[in-house]
Amino acid sequence: MPPKGKAAPKPKGSDTTKTSSSLTAAAQPASSTAPNNTTPPATINERSQRRVDECQPYEAARQKAGLRGLSQAEQFGWVSARFARSDAAARSRLGPKSQRELWRYVNDASLPVRVLKKKLVSNPWGVDRNGRDIGSYSPAQFDDRAAKRINLTVLAAASQAFRDCRERTKKIALDDQQNPDVATDSEVQEERERRREMAKLRKELYGDKMPGKLAQDPEWDDVLPIPHEEPEGSLAAISYPDDYAEAISYLRAVMENKEYSPRCLRLTEYIIGMNSSHYTVWLFRASIVIALKLPFVDELAWLNKVALEHLKNYQIWHHRHLLVENYYPSIAGSPEAVASFAAQEQAFLSDILEQDTKNYHVWSYRSYLVGKLGLWDNAAELAAIEAMIKDDVRNNSAWSHRFYLVFSNPAHSTAGTAATEPDPAAPAAIVDREVQYAQDKIHLAPQNQSPWNYLHGVLVKGGRKLGSVEPFVADFVRHLGDDDKEDVISTHALDLLAEIYAEKGDKEKADLALRRLGEKWDRIRIGYWEWRRKCLESPAAAGGTEAGVAAAVAA
Amino acid sequence: MARPSNTPSPSTRNKNIVDQAKGGEEEDEEEIVVSHIYPSFMIPDIFTGYPPVRDALVTDSSVAQDQIANECRHFVAGEDDILEYNEHGVPRLSRDKHIRFLHLALGGLPGRFVAVDASRPWFLYWAISGLTILGEDVSRYRNAVAETARSMQNDTGGFGGGCRQLSHMATSYAVVLALALVGGEEAFEVIDRKAIWRWLCRLKQPDGGFQVCLGGEEDIRGAYCAAVIIKLLNLPLDLAPESPAWTEEGDKNLLTGLGDYVRRCQTFEGGISGQPDAEAHGAYAFCALGCLSLLGHPSQVIPRYLDVPRLIAWLSSRQYAPEGGFSGRTNKLVDGCYSHWVGGCFPLIEACLSGATTGGADLAAGSLPPAPESLFSREGLIRYILCCCQDLTRKGGLRDKPGKSPDAYHSCYVLSGLSSAQHQWELVPPEEQEEEPASAGTEPATSTTRSVAAAAVADPLWVVLPYFEGVQIFDQRDRVRPIHPVYAIPHRNQQAIRNYFLAKEGF
Repeated sequence: MPPKGKAAPKPKGSDTTKTSSSLTAAAQPASSTAPNNTTPPATINERSQRRVDECQPYEAARQKAGLRGLSQAEQFGWVSARFARSDAAARSRLGPKSQRELWRYVNDASLPVRVLKKKLVSNPWGVDRNGRDIGSYSPAQFDDRAAKRINLTVLAAASQAFRDCRERTKKIALDDQQNPDVATDSEVQEERERRREMAKLRKELYGDKMPGKLAQDPEWDDVLPIPHEEPEGSLAAISYPDDYAEAISYLRAVMENKEYSPRCLRLTEYIIGMNSSHYTVWLFRASIVIALKLPFVDELAWLNKVALEHLKNYQIWHHRHLLVENYYPSIAGSPEAVASFAAQEQAFLSDILEQDTKNYHVWSYRSYLVGKLGLWDNAAELAAIEAMIKDDVRNNSAWSHRFYLVFSNPAHSTAGTAATEPDPAAPAAIVDREVQYAQDKIHLAPQNQSPWNYLHGVLVKGGRKLGSVEPFVADFVRHLGDDDKEDVISTHALDLLAEIYAEKGDKEKADLALRRLGEKWDRIRIGYWEWRRKCLESPAAAGGTEAGVAAAVAA
Repeated sequence: MARPSNTPSPSTRNKNIVDQAKGGEEEDEEEIVVSHIYPSFMIPDIFTGYPPVRDALVTDSSVAQDQIANECRHFVAGEDDILEYNEHGVPRLSRDKHIRFLHLALGGLPGRFVAVDASRPWFLYWAISGLTILGEDVSRYRNAVAETARSMQNDTGGFGGGCRQLSHMATSYAVVLALALVGGEEAFEVIDRKAIWRWLCRLKQPDGGFQVCLGGEEDIRGAYCAAVIIKLLNLPLDLAPESPAWTEEGDKNLLTGLGDYVRRCQTFEGGISGQPDAEAHGAYAFCALGCLSLLGHPSQVIPRYLDVPRLIAWLSSRQYAPEGGFSGRTNKLVDGCYSHWVGGCFPLIEACLSGATTGGADLAAGSLPPAPESLFSREGLIRYILCCCQDLTRKGGLRDKPGKSPDAYHSCYVLSGLSSAQHQWELVPPEEQEEEPASAGTEPATSTTRSVAAAAVADPLWVVLPYFEGVQIFDQRDRVRPIHPVYAIPHRNQQAIRNYFLAKEGF
């Protein structure tokens, strides 16, 4: 394939090189009579100039000093050379003797009869990719360049041969309904190397842009990419980096053909590496994994790596979800397999949550996993959550997960019960345990809302009266209403206390608690506290409908 | 029970409170600074001091919280001497800068934005919505939005994140809203309604919810976005047979079970999670309330599916002092975007509660009193937005919190939150509303079944007023435009697109 260079004068290429070298050989004998120059030429232009000079001995000197400035011998030499080169008609003006003498002299002095043009075309070698005159190269540099050009020509020929051969064999294979690609892996790899080498050379020689990774990959030769077309004046258009634009154009093509293949899998990985929130790619990847029945473990191992690199990513977790959905039926029959998978997932989840303890997607996946694998009574799951709460008692995500884990257990919960509704199936022992757990954690940091919300949720779920924890709650509020001595260690306690008072029908104290919250202890929420005060006057009110329901259940 | 040893005694803590009320821990120093430089500011001390009740126990969460509260305190306290504050210690809204920032966001994005290649429709909505709220005329983008949207639409229905990307609920929602914002037939006609209807049918799940894209996750974003799209485009509610939720009896439609799905997302905390069994999160609370408010009158629908008192308790807990802004989850930090996601819940909650007093409401809400003038501190939110969320360098734009870079997402939702804090909405009770014209939207979807179109459920009628209760801490010129509390676009844009499709016969 001919090189596509923009800059250099290709056609002159290697031929010129050859010509010049043969000229060098021919001109060599002349050097003895030519102006002696022992230092090698510094540049190609200088070398050319010297060759010109060597063809025309004494000409340089003449130009410098004029004909009269030359010695007689030099003058004779110069004139002889002119005569030798002039046409026969001019020479015929000399007598036969003079002509004989002339030729003898020309012979003795090895004067060149045929010469290079006196004046060099300006810039005969063209410029390189940096706009530098190639004539200003040193001979070594020039030879190097020439060698590269030859190398490129050879590679291009080999590459063309590869394509032609592949094309031919593919045709035959298709006719015979065989696997169309008969190129062996090593051949493909060789070709890949070859193209890489060619691209490098073209860039070096001609400044050609490196072709896209996929465009020069023989593996993708048969795919015609669908390039991105953005309508004129479209908004928020991204100037895609070349690699991304190329990859996406190939993605479009293979998705259009619904091609589920290993190379497409690699393509998705490549794109995800550049843009991990490209949901289309993720779903395509999932289809490939499932269609090719790729080993779940491999995909998961890869996914773990990606997840750790892109902590905030949404798609990774849905992908994991899809994988598990697909994989689970194959292990569902074996409790050991499920347990081992669960342990493995828990280990990974712990790793990732260590880096981002409240990552919403990770926690959502974790709750999905609990339901899918039935980890309700899995001791490790509860222990993992406890460890996280121990690390940071304010980690609400962990609290939230605990609530789900404990109270959605199908063994002792009623399906379809809303989260804020009492569930008669919730065992008293578990409710007790969870109340105690929340209370223990509240002691660590009483103004931490997480365990308070949890406590409230547990009481409601268990159908307990809020008042059942009144002594505990009351301890965080001292001398309510006494201006000098009033002390609130937790506004959440005061909030719950207001609900408890309302539940008991003690509107006055409930009102006082809410008023103090709005006036002093939690002023930013005064609008809410005022509304709660109004709630006290409503019929079923108290702190909320669920309190009423809870009371009804308890009754 | 013994008092936890790490809790200070009442006397020392009260002293701290007094100190904090003066503006900081170091009494002397703070006193000088405050009285010397900003003598005339009227900043309530809840925004300048620490909250009166704090724990001593240090964990990762408390470290992060203290750090941000401290940082915001300085911004809210008007301590930045390059800024001009009004007598309430509030800087002006840098309208021009934000406008410039948002116009720029619509221009070309550099290569490093490749990560948002699947969210470009959001940039259209965020920027155009932000500009609209700031009072800009965005109709000049009509043609460009239409063309861009067209390139993202798939023949199989819906809009993807870009050319030839799978259609996604979120991006379709964003495109439809962007088209509604620029308005006009040219924009509306881009949407292939029949195809988007079919596509929605395929996403509808037997449990009532919606997948966000084919093969994608099912979550509450899907529920909200689907409801908005169905309503704005006046799509028929009939299910196409290719829907996973389709039954032979034909007793299911696009909205069947949607309320139940939302109900399953309420958590024990009272807030709403992205999908059942996860943690309560501010963004999903808005999706839940928005979705329910589209199923009927909020005063009837919201209490039918949600535990309203617990929800209000949780929503109210999202507002922190001294920051004044909202957080998205319990024990997480404030973030400007929740000005919309959480702040935007309050008009819907207020509508839910106010319906009760007029007697037209469900029994569940009947026991709840209407909201007082405001369920949250509008002053706090406005202070947070104007003091902490504005990038006041040359760049402009609005942000998550001090120290973060502004972006289109935060600009849109912070401004949307500002708009909702500056206005109040009233909902005309259901029985006082006129019925929709019977002919509208009843065009059969197919030749065999008679369609129940989205229009059959009468649209609740919202009326907006500027909020004037109490002290107005912002300059009157900084009042931004109101937007519809459910659709998050101005009322007239919502009406225009809806009326356009109501008037259409068939697809």
